[in-house]
Amino acid sequence: MKKIAYFDSSHDMPEEIIMAAGFVPYKIFGDVHKSNAPADQYLQAFFCPAARSFLTEALTRSAEWEGIIVAQGCNATNRHYDVWKRHVSTPFLHWFNGPIKDDAMALRFMKTELWRLIDTLNRQFRVSITDDMIAAAIRESNEVKKRLQRVSALRSEKDITNREYLTVLIKSMTLPKKDAVAAIDELIHKAEKGGPIPKNNIKVLLTGSDVTYPELMDQIDEAGFRVVRDDLSVGERYYTTLIPEDGNPVDALARYYLSVPRPATKVGMRKRIEYLEGALADSGLDTVISQNIKFCEPFAYDSVMVNGELKERGIRLLHIEREFTPGPDNQLMNRLAAFSEML
Amino acid sequence: MNQQTTAPASLEAPQIRIDTLPHAKSLKWPMVWYLLVGQLYSMLPWKKTAWTCAGFPVELLWGFDIFPLHPENMATVAAAQKQSQRLIEHAEGMGYSRDLCSYCKTNLGAVDTNIKTTLGGIAKPDIITCTNTICDTHWKWFQIQAEKLKVPIFIFDCPKIVSGTDERTIEGYINYMVEQFYDFFEFVKKHTGKELNIDRLNRACEESERMSVLWREIYEYRKCVPSPYSSAETSASFFPLVVLPGKKVGIKFFEKIKGDIRKRAESGRGTLSGGAKERYRLLFEGIPFWYKMRFMYDLAKYSAVETYEPYTFSFAPPKPVGKDYTETLREVARIMMDLPYSYNLEKRIQYFEQAVKDFKIDGVILHENLSCRPSSTGMIDLKNAIQEDLGVPVLILQCDMNDPRAYSEAQMKTRIESFIEVMEKNRKG
Repeated sequence: MKKIAYFDSSHDMPEEIIMAAGFVPYKIFGDVHKSNAPADQYLQAFFCPAARSFLTEALTRSAEWEGIIVAQGCNATNRHYDVWKRHVSTPFLHWFNGPIKDDAMALRFMKTELWRLIDTLNRQFRVSITDDMIAAAIRESNEVKKRLQRVSALRSEKDITNREYLTVLIKSMTLPKKDAVAAIDELIHKAEKGGPIPKNNIKVLLTGSDVTYPELMDQIDEAGFRVVRDDLSVGERYYTTLIPEDGNPVDALARYYLSVPRPATKVGMRKRIEYLEGALADSGLDTVISQNIKFCEPFAYDSVMVNGELKERGIRLLHIEREFTPGPDNQLMNRLAAFSEML
Repeated sequence: MNQQTTAPASLEAPQIRIDTLPHAKSLKWPMVWYLLVGQLYSMLPWKKTAWTCAGFPVELLWGFDIFPLHPENMATVAAAQKQSQRLIEHAEGMGYSRDLCSYCKTNLGAVDTNIKTTLGGIAKPDIITCTNTICDTHWKWFQIQAEKLKVPIFIFDCPKIVSGTDERTIEGYINYMVEQFYDFFEFVKKHTGKELNIDRLNRACEESERMSVLWREIYEYRKCVPSPYSSAETSASFFPLVVLPGKKVGIKFFEKIKGDIRKRAESGRGTLSGGAKERYRLLFEGIPFWYKMRFMYDLAKYSAVETYEPYTFSFAPPKPVGKDYTETLREVARIMMDLPYSYNLEKRIQYFEQAVKDFKIDGVILHENLSCRPSSTGMIDLKNAIQEDLGVPVLILQCDMNDPRAYSEAQMKTRIESFIEVMEKNRKG
């Protein structure tokens, strides 16, 4: 099936509209193993390295996609759109301006943006997206989310490595949904039959910038931490809420995307703190790893207050600033190891 | 090393300076007015104040008789008073990353250390309001301070007019903005008891437009060769435009300096001292180095004059005047989303290329600001476009607006001198 790629710094892109138009939604993750040199022709080195990697992927792979949609997220998405428009070769580039607030006005505006996207796809690809098509896409999307919820429940008890968890999430956002379901089912089957989390592992909640490559998850594993909860976009934010299947499907999508756990790119730091506190309380956790990829401003702004409040509530928390690299980061490992020893 | 950082004798002429305008020092009255009236509004219980940011239509606040306090401006005061570094380092001690905006960290440090207003401190407001037009930092920063100070906050969610956005989409964006205005009015009433006075708003818009017109007229004179006015002075004198749009004290100041500039222009005099010949006309993009204002004065040594800066000009967009209430709000919404400082790349390139032609620019300096990633985005394309389309050399200077740690005197001098040589070579062609 043909793909439409999207640049989304959180979970703001309504994949279901792409699916309803008959395409596979493909979230751009970049490639941590490849040099950012192609993107660095246009973006300076003090921009988010993940965003630069996304541009590198677009510069080298856009011919594989029918088009690209950029969803409003952080400053990177907002301003980089113009750079992409100038340099990425694609027959279709669309700006999806989701709101940063979640009130009644934002909801109305979100619906307007959804209709604008539908209209643009209809015209560009000579399709006719109907409510039924969107409703079917929502059901398909929810199937993925329900299974990921099962994975999340299992990872609290069973031996699902940090890498396995992240990998299945990346598959959920890049593969056709049927293939994603198969991959998730395989992991669920393996976990259900497998053993429990190794006894010497410390269960943690992971928060902060999105993790987009498994090597970082490996390092967290190697340091003896098992991520059993998170509030990441390549994580719980993607599946913890289901899209309403009743009523008008466009309304349902608007409500859904404004009700997912708030990322730092959206107004609502208090709600973000509440989600973290709820997740910690629900799962009986008292340990958090907070990480910030270099130059990721929204999460860097939040981290001081969010982490401070968690610490005040007795949560044991490590905050790290990390690079964008697949290689072993000894400084990071030392800090993780020291935190593990301290615990 | 010394040889590398020392200009050839022919390049540098230390005796050439910037001749400031006779009325340049009159700026102190608007500044004193701003600080004193701001203090008065902060002290009197029936008066109200609001923190706000660049890109927010201050006239709206005047319409409520709410005094606007500007954390960004006070951060620049801290830098000019050589306080910003210690305040930034204080904020970093609180946990804020070195990679975050130096205005924000200056303000966080200023509030946390309760520094005096004359050194860049700022009073606690009754409400906080901001937008995401220019950057995420504005609302992230103000959200943090609203939480810390326990002050209600209203954030305007301004959709982005990216390259190629059609008018129909923009109209939809304006609808969303106008809805937020009404919500904002309710917010203000709830938290301050104040209601919007339409007549006061209209007066503020009219006076604000008067001030903007004066500023735009001043920039028309800057097109003269030699230029009678440089960024060494505009970077300070645009202060009333930012914090006091619609206030007579600022208008009077602009009238005085415009008179000085007109006289200079009519007599064919430039801003360089002793009748020195203006050799290089520069366009400077970005926020100045507030802790090192001497940078712009020192360019005079090379007979170089910064004759245009989009940054200082961007605070004087046409204001809605003589329109009904609904039209006024729609016009304000459009202005908020489409400021020159946040133009999309296509529009930015067109805007810069026109400015290069209009102001007869010999070279462009782009401040790649470590504190402002949004303004630095697309800068490489901007550089390439100006060079390729117009054959005008462009220098990208990486630095920071408020953090002196990013500024290296020797490196800066070397780069400027190299650029002077490039402009000279380009002139000879």
